[in-house]
Amino acid sequence: MSHAGHPISVRRGLLTPGAAVLAGLALIGLGAAAYRFLFGIGAASNLSNQYPWGIWIGIDVASGVALAAGGFTSAAVAHIFHQHKYEVLVRPALLTAMLGYTFAVLGLFADLGRFYNIWHPMIPMMWQGNSVLFEVAMCVMVYLNILYIEFLPIVCERFAGRVSLPGPLRALNPMVERALRIAQATLGKMMFLFIVGGVVLSCMHQSSLGSLLLIAPYKVNPLWYTPVMPMLFLLSAFSAGFAMVIFESLLSAWTFRLAPETKVLASYSRFLVVFLGVYLVAKGTDFVIRDAYHSLLAGGIAPVMFLVEICAGIVLPLLLLVSPRVRGTALGLFAASGLVVGGVLLNRVNVFLVAFRPPYAQTPYFPSLVESLITLGLISALVLTYRVFVTIFPILPAGECVPARELAAEDIPAETEPYAA
Amino acid sequence: MGSSVAGAAFAQSALAESSANAEDGYGMLVDTTECIGCRKCEWACAQENKLSDKPVEAFEDPSAFEEPRRMTADAYTVVNRYDIPDQPAQHTFVKAQCMHCLRPACVSACLVGALRRQPSGQVTYDAWKCMGCRYCMVACPFQVPAYQYDNALTPVVSKCNFCFNRVQNEGKMPACADMCPPMCLTFAKRSELLRLAHQKIEANPDRYLDHVYGEHELGGTAWMYLTSRPVTELGLLEFDAKAIPDRTEPMQHAIFKMGVPPMLLFGLLTVAMKTFEHKEEE
Amino acid sequence: MLRNVLLVISVICLSLWWAHRAAAQNAMPPPSETGGDCSPCHYTNTPSMDDLIPGRRCARPRESDPVAPKGDSAPDVVIMNQLTDIYVPVVFPHGLHANMENMGGGCVVCHHHGESGKIVSCRHCHSAETTADNLRQPGLKGAYHRQCLACHREWGHNTDCQLCHAKRTPGQPDPKIDPTDITGRLHPNVSIPDKRIYPTPGLPDGVMVTFQHKEHVDLFGKRCVDCHRKENCSRCHDTVAPPKHIRQNTHEDCVGCHDVAADCTKCHMNGELPPFDHARRSKFALKPYHQGLACQKCHKDNGIFTGNKTDCASCHAADWFPSSFDHAKTGLTLNEAHKDTDCLGCHPNGLGKEPDCSVCHDDKKFPKDVPGTLAAAPAPAPVAAAAPAAAPAPATENKAPVAVAEAAPAPDKK
Repeated sequence: MSHAGHPISVRRGLLTPGAAVLAGLALIGLGAAAYRFLFGIGAASNLSNQYPWGIWIGIDVASGVALAAGGFTSAAVAHIFHQHKYEVLVRPALLTAMLGYTFAVLGLFADLGRFYNIWHPMIPMMWQGNSVLFEVAMCVMVYLNILYIEFLPIVCERFAGRVSLPGPLRALNPMVERALRIAQATLGKMMFLFIVGGVVLSCMHQSSLGSLLLIAPYKVNPLWYTPVMPMLFLLSAFSAGFAMVIFESLLSAWTFRLAPETKVLASYSRFLVVFLGVYLVAKGTDFVIRDAYHSLLAGGIAPVMFLVEICAGIVLPLLLLVSPRVRGTALGLFAASGLVVGGVLLNRVNVFLVAFRPPYAQTPYFPSLVESLITLGLISALVLTYRVFVTIFPILPAGECVPARELAAEDIPAETEPYAA
Repeated sequence: MGSSVAGAAFAQSALAESSANAEDGYGMLVDTTECIGCRKCEWACAQENKLSDKPVEAFEDPSAFEEPRRMTADAYTVVNRYDIPDQPAQHTFVKAQCMHCLRPACVSACLVGALRRQPSGQVTYDAWKCMGCRYCMVACPFQVPAYQYDNALTPVVSKCNFCFNRVQNEGKMPACADMCPPMCLTFAKRSELLRLAHQKIEANPDRYLDHVYGEHELGGTAWMYLTSRPVTELGLLEFDAKAIPDRTEPMQHAIFKMGVPPMLLFGLLTVAMKTFEHKEEE
Repeated sequence: MLRNVLLVISVICLSLWWAHRAAAQNAMPPPSETGGDCSPCHYTNTPSMDDLIPGRRCARPRESDPVAPKGDSAPDVVIMNQLTDIYVPVVFPHGLHANMENMGGGCVVCHHHGESGKIVSCRHCHSAETTADNLRQPGLKGAYHRQCLACHREWGHNTDCQLCHAKRTPGQPDPKIDPTDITGRLHPNVSIPDKRIYPTPGLPDGVMVTFQHKEHVDLFGKRCVDCHRKENCSRCHDTVAPPKHIRQNTHEDCVGCHDVAADCTKCHMNGELPPFDHARRSKFALKPYHQGLACQKCHKDNGIFTGNKTDCASCHAADWFPSSFDHAKTGLTLNEAHKDTDCLGCHPNGLGKEPDCSVCHDDKKFPKDVPGTLAAAPAPAPVAAAAPAAAPAPATENKAPVAVAEAAPAPDKK
């Protein structure tokens, strides 16, 4: 079934300088989070009555979910449409999605004023079906569990027959062993349900994230506000999903000195071209129909951000990707997919933070230090966790080791590293 | 101010009517031409809702008018002062608070139903259900709800509740209307108030603009304003007649109607999965 | 022909019937017939006699001032104690306000719905309770505040509660109210400018109108309200930004006496118009005694200022008999020697003419020598003298009752 090398655990030490930096940032973030939970949102953040949502929602949740879209796009391509040559990309994408959603929920904990009530949407008595956020919450919750289930076979593969919990937990070993066996036996038959369900749920909540701000027509800049925001969010999530898989595949290959799957990725990037093209056409058509270009002439940072998002995030990578020469090289793929990832990230930041300008607001929102440290800490922790997971579990394809000298440090753009999940 | 009895009598008579027309809840008509900016409504509100124990003198400080204010976690209502062009000594005062929309965006937004529009017209909040996601604050076009950001453990969304308990259970008028010295707040059924507002405009065309703010805005609000000047000069925002939930709910309902479209997608993908599997086998 | 006549007649009949019907519809029943409920008709926000019911005729006969106070019956001080909670009762200096009423529309400005000659309390219509039936009129608290604030807000720009309400100190007795403190004070005399000079817009520069303000008051007998109609307090009392006085029709104030259509140059001239000079206009110089008189004292036919003869007898025939004539009235008190002299003895050329001393004295000559003592020229009459309706004497010993209006049972102190 697998013509590419079957995934194995990365055999490299965890204690690299990069990992140490990440761990440090994560620890600082943990301290910042402690500050937030002890002294409240007001003390920790610059959120206000006019700007109730900041980077915790705009970056941790909205962008995190968008960038985790690789999980369902790669699952759809490899498992639903049975393009098995892309199988090698599924496990890293799945891990990214699982961690991405997990950390999005952790970010949500920081943002929720009554975080201990996060389970309330599960109570039928409190269901409020008119709320877009209700649908997002339900989808994310179910999908997160589906992701865990989809990841379970990897856990089974790694530990079935090898469970050896340390110390006093040793007594549990036979029980865990049996559970893993049962999971292994049953999951295989039911997995298609979870895979298809995951794709459906993803389509639902990725688009609904775009519906979230439809409820604030008088606050969101018309450059971004459009009734088709859900569709644009879904299309950009597809693009982000494909781009993210390419981007992190190359990044982890270089980081762990594995051979990049350039050929597979070049072929895979054709999906990205299609979805990115459709996204651009949709966005452009909508923009023209709404006569939104008047808003481009308005002053301020919004038109600049909009143009950067379109030009650097969509048009430029599209131009890069349609050229087979660029598409054929790892560096070209890396640059193009990185631009797409950055573009979608910028889109989420734009919609949730830049475009959101309530009329009564006196001073615009800018995240505080503690707020930023929490977000930075979460991202660092995510990357670190990814690193730990690929070390423990068979995630990455077993490629040949690349001699260290072939990996020049400058191959990896430093500013994109935090998103290398 | 000696009118608690009055309020009781009023609420009872009005309640009797409400059974006849369930859709027609309470409303409030704010006559901005009568408001003198005494801020007694702010004081009455703070007392009634136990928002602060500031003495009445704290609400007599004219410096409060220097900057336009918005509602905060401990002020459900604020009065702002607006200059009148060419009349340096004259001012218009405008009270701001929750407008109690007939089709509230916050209620549509709240995912756990903590915000509700009561049949009697008040939009109320149930802190016990609230998760603190603040989507209601994002949604509110009037930017009314405030948040107890400084409360680390049990923060609440704070906004005017139209004195729901006071009106429904104690049978009184809302505290602000009860207090208002020139009685520029008229509390009654919304339909009554609309009739009154248009009569006032007809009777005093020089005094009022022919526009009842809140009659049609965003599908109508329970609180409505009579003004002598364009609302945009008075810190009020201009809105379409289209209710905010009408922008999100139809789409939401069309996409997820009874779960049919997702199930359809699920079915399609399953079929696709099987089809491609067979192709591969061949 | 007959057809046309019939047509005209039928049209006339129809329109008469329609007019009758319309009048019958428009005439609303008086409040007495609606059980005291004014709301079907009176829904204006700030009712006045001019604007009771838009587009409808009031059935109640309108009088110039339906609630004109009779004599001294108006109270000087009204203590409002109906609604008190955090503040002590309000002391309303009614007299002070009533004194200014004829400047701004009469008692009806406040007593807007009174029946003729009868003043009802505010509570009569504005109930302390708000019910669904009386939304159209403010409750008692609102009525009080709006009534006062309508003017005070306009000219005082001060809406501080303590302007009228003294704050009640919890646990302490209310401060004593001294009704004599501000009672009986009248509106102080206003200073009247000698003249006003107005530029004439639309005419070349330098063309101006001189209005001899003091003359109009002192000599011509004009009352303030004859020209200053519908003034409001803020014209003078606006402490922050006095509104500019804009004359709608500049000739309006003058047409009562002057024929403005006749000759513009009579008023609009290059340069200032000198004060009125009787000698120049009539060749009859007013001697000191006449100088101080209002015009109407001599020109008794209202509005006609010509035709008076210059000899004293033409005016004074009725009261000037040689037996009773008091020469001092001419400004010259005769000394003992001349007191009983025959009039024609000194005035051989006629009464009122210059005396001829040479009849008796070789060495005397008028006006170098006078047969008595000359009185000083009389000062111009005081302002009050010019106003026909003399203001009531300052009531330091206050006769007017101190009415505790709204003297209802003790207020509901919650």
